[in-house]
Amino acid sequence: MKRLAVLLAFACVLAAILHGRADAPVIVKAIQLDQPISFKRDVMPILTKAGCNTGGCHGSARGQDGFHLSLFGYDPAGDYDRITREMGARRVNLALPEESLLLQKATGAVAHTGGKRFDKNSDFYKAVVKWLDAGAPRDPADIPTPVSVEMSPSEIVLEGGNATRQATVTAHYSDGTARDVTPLAVFFTNNEGSAKISPAGLVTSGARGEAFVMARFGTTTVGSAVIVVPKAVPFTFPLVEERNYIDALIDAKLRKLRVTPSAVCSDEEFLRRVTLDITGLLPAPADYDRFLADAAPNKRARLIDELLNRPEFVDIWVMKLAEMLRIRSGADVSEKAALVYFDWLRNQLSQNVPVNRLVSRLIDSEGGIFENPPAGFYQFETDPLKLAEDTAQVFLGVQVKCAQCHNHPFDRWTMDDYRGFVAFFTQIARKKGEDPREMVVYDRREGESRNPVTNAVVTPKFLGGSRPDAANKDRRALLADWISSPDNPYFAKHFANVIWAQFFGRGIIEPVDDARVSNPPSNPELLEALARRFIDYNYDFRRLARDICASRTYQASSLPNDSNAADIRNFSHAAVRRLRSEVMFDCIGEVTDTKNKFKGLPLGGRAVQIADGQTTNYFLKTFGRASRETPCTCEVSMEPNLSQALLLLNGETVEGKISNGGLVKRMLADKKEPADIVNALYVRCFTRKPTGDEVNTLAPLLAKAQTRQKNLEDVFWALLNSKEFMFNH
Amino acid sequence: MNEFQPITWYDDPSHFRKVSRREFLYVGLVGGLGLTLGDFFKLRAEEALQEAKAKALIHIFLPGGISAHESFDPKPFAPVEVRGPFGSIPTKVDGVYFSELMKETAKIADKITIVRSMTHGEAAHERGTHNMFTGYKPSPAIQYPSIGSVVSHELGSRQDLPPYVCIPTQPNPYAGSGYLSNAYGPFSLGGDPANANFTVRDLTLSPDVDHERFQQRQNILAAVDAHFRGLEKSDALDAMDSFYQHAYSLVSSPKAREAFNLKAEPDSLKDEYGRNSAGMRMLMARRLVEGGVRFASMVYGGWDHHTNVKGGIEKNLPQFDKAYAALIRDLDRRGMLDSTLVMVTTEFGRTPKINKDAGRDHWPRVFSIALAGGGIKRGSVYGSSDPTGAEPDENPLSVEDFATTIYRQLGIDASKKLMSPGDRPIDIVRGGQFVPELIA
Repeated sequence: MKRLAVLLAFACVLAAILHGRADAPVIVKAIQLDQPISFKRDVMPILTKAGCNTGGCHGSARGQDGFHLSLFGYDPAGDYDRITREMGARRVNLALPEESLLLQKATGAVAHTGGKRFDKNSDFYKAVVKWLDAGAPRDPADIPTPVSVEMSPSEIVLEGGNATRQATVTAHYSDGTARDVTPLAVFFTNNEGSAKISPAGLVTSGARGEAFVMARFGTTTVGSAVIVVPKAVPFTFPLVEERNYIDALIDAKLRKLRVTPSAVCSDEEFLRRVTLDITGLLPAPADYDRFLADAAPNKRARLIDELLNRPEFVDIWVMKLAEMLRIRSGADVSEKAALVYFDWLRNQLSQNVPVNRLVSRLIDSEGGIFENPPAGFYQFETDPLKLAEDTAQVFLGVQVKCAQCHNHPFDRWTMDDYRGFVAFFTQIARKKGEDPREMVVYDRREGESRNPVTNAVVTPKFLGGSRPDAANKDRRALLADWISSPDNPYFAKHFANVIWAQFFGRGIIEPVDDARVSNPPSNPELLEALARRFIDYNYDFRRLARDICASRTYQASSLPNDSNAADIRNFSHAAVRRLRSEVMFDCIGEVTDTKNKFKGLPLGGRAVQIADGQTTNYFLKTFGRASRETPCTCEVSMEPNLSQALLLLNGETVEGKISNGGLVKRMLADKKEPADIVNALYVRCFTRKPTGDEVNTLAPLLAKAQTRQKNLEDVFWALLNSKEFMFNH
Repeated sequence: MNEFQPITWYDDPSHFRKVSRREFLYVGLVGGLGLTLGDFFKLRAEEALQEAKAKALIHIFLPGGISAHESFDPKPFAPVEVRGPFGSIPTKVDGVYFSELMKETAKIADKITIVRSMTHGEAAHERGTHNMFTGYKPSPAIQYPSIGSVVSHELGSRQDLPPYVCIPTQPNPYAGSGYLSNAYGPFSLGGDPANANFTVRDLTLSPDVDHERFQQRQNILAAVDAHFRGLEKSDALDAMDSFYQHAYSLVSSPKAREAFNLKAEPDSLKDEYGRNSAGMRMLMARRLVEGGVRFASMVYGGWDHHTNVKGGIEKNLPQFDKAYAALIRDLDRRGMLDSTLVMVTTEFGRTPKINKDAGRDHWPRVFSIALAGGGIKRGSVYGSSDPTGAEPDENPLSVEDFATTIYRQLGIDASKKLMSPGDRPIDIVRGGQFVPELIA
């Protein structure tokens, strides 16, 4: 083993010298040379690296061809037993180690479904033989375990295709030692097209773009960002306006990518975009005239403030939170309970209660939901596992469900992390209230979370954090404090990202509720800065939204240039986004001057204000409204389908609202010029006037008085069916 | 050491959630070639169909899990607690008996194949349903596409009709497009054909809009869209365009729309099918595949008879029996049976013994399905269950083998890989074997 360790360390330094550049230091702080061979330290990583314990092979739940290993090695003790004890111990031959079935299979010496995994001359082979030679010892209980893993360099910029760079991986152990584990780490990339990574950790560039290369060792995955830029193409970042920290951080990234941001959009585009994003409505014709006539240099900033103070801004965020909290009546939740919960949420946001306090109230709630509506949090979901998963996903943007059954192979979460987080929810109990529609939530101070492999009790543990002293305490109060604290590593970032995504159609981490090592932010510095501001702003949605809307980045045109056309994740130009179902329905009502009626809302109520996930209509369903059955942001569907096209071009919504609203008829009765009516319809639907070409194309339709109304209504129909209407741009 | 590729994140399909942007790129690419989606589908379809026996498929799903003992696999010689409340009757096939409530189906048994050895071992409704709709065991994270969506993806549209239609609506999440783009999801009729005032939404122009006016509207829309199209490029815009083209052709083609017009069916035929949900949905399905739909999927009844299996079966089965026999006869009369695969499936069977509530509970170890047409043997029984209906006796049929065989009859190679997000290819069916014994 001594020889092997030296060899490995030497090989890596050599590889770094050969492939790397001078700025890729390999620092091996300490190499422990005299450690005895160990199953966990030496053999397990080889099984993982050779792919033996993957889901497609022996790591599958039932194993493969009679041999089962824990997936990615989550259960080393069990794996030890299965290798050394099962099958009459036929897998290992301590007398003749090289005759062990384990090695014969792995080297392909005997028939093996998985083929040859490593060579007889390889270091892996020698290491396993050495372990068998030593008698295949069981590890002592105090065997050092890896506590952290590092991959370096953390950022790699490669020029042109086929440029290479060696990555190294270092593991730090609980006894304070470090070890270069590059040969034992499993490497993968999230974008083969731009950067490949070899089994030995050599990164090779491909097409221009970004990739994230990752290394997994033990239960930890770490990664490095790779940027591939064109070789020897002169690039000067243009002089562009940086209005605030957002632009500065966006531009810093774009510089690295050699991408030029798009120009600032027109006043018309800005007015439409920002009104839709903040209020979920289109600008009224009067707002259009006023804004375009306004010559003040700060008129965009003023508009942002006006819009943020409108109650419709609150409606949008109540809807989004109601989706996260799955407010929906059903078999176990009465309509009244859903309504009470929703109204509470609405009140909180109307009063501008900081969102960390709001969440803390939800988690720490108890009692009857009618007196204390936030207790609805424990009524809409009752399974402790799901409560833990949902809490992580909805408030922290982290998905931990993989770790229910095995250590998350591409993130940091272990089964212990998972069960430790579940432990916050295992002592909640519920009973029927006096009103049968009501549920009363209370803490029964008993009930434990257990590891499903060992059946050991797992005490409460914050995700990625410490184990609080929970004895005789209400565990939910502990969790509420941790989540709402400014020191929480996820909360502020997650909500900053959710707010960002509302204005760009995608998050800096996308999807917003799936942050993981293998799904890194496209601009970590920006996310960090937004989170810091959000905390400074006392978790006020409005103030962060104001920064975002004021940035040049938000106000960029959707027109791409040669350098940024392919970019979708660095916000170098505005994205074209379909309106979500509720907003589209409300906008159709708004521009046609018609009112909608939804259950639980007065006539004229808007779809974004619907309290209950159950309440819906054909339009909303067809355009992908979330039914709120799960908290996943993927419930809101923006996907087009045939029924949507049929509904808009031939359904009663557009047709009926055009005639019920009577807008065209009214304008004709008011003796408005046909051309002015077209203008007015364009302004209502598109927030712009028709182009010269459009005026000329439409003019013949308006010539004859007797067909004028019909033709104008057809123009209206066409505007509502156009993509310029359906999409925010 | 160098010959293996390390397992990457993308190698494990269980780690995907639905993202279909890439699929739009794909549709967008088609647009870039100057082909409409319809042309493209036609090209694809011509390639794929060379070997296909079945041009279309009707899927009749009996949700809840119908008892095989009370339908296709009676156990007349078993003790009463296994045999259940009903007797059995001979069928057109010598030695094959059905439940006594299946008098009509017994008469067409010589036209169909009964599989009495379907097995998958998933005893929860959603898991069993997932198996039967996708050909895959459920995975915690990835959503597999339904067989209907794969057919839509592989074979595309015929005669201006959507390739995959659900009657009356998409019955469960597993009947959707999974990791494929929504472009391949089902078109839902939106109403029950058994209702007197049933029509499919939004297909027919309103009385105020004649064909000429509709054409004018399309022209105006093209003009209005031109400006925006000149400025913006996005996959989502292209996808929306493709659906508009599809919708135009559907609305403008009286022939295509006629496929949804159940009123055009003669009264005598409606009576033969039965004027109820079972009959009218099956008649609708026949009409749709006749018009050009590739995959018509319908559900009928509720079969989760934990209590009073006798009452539940008596309520549901006779209507099914009459409608199903009528469908097979009708297809055969029209010469469509050989080119239309009809499958009757359910999520699992029910326990061999009647329980204390006079019902039967979930039993996925063995159950029955029925296949007919599209090259499937006539008058055949495949596999068998043991004397109590507890385990497969001969030729157990797995979900994978079942799906592979169905796909093959449609001219689809089940070992083909489809692209899921992240450029990860995933087999249409993983590890299934074609079952030649099912085929004529």
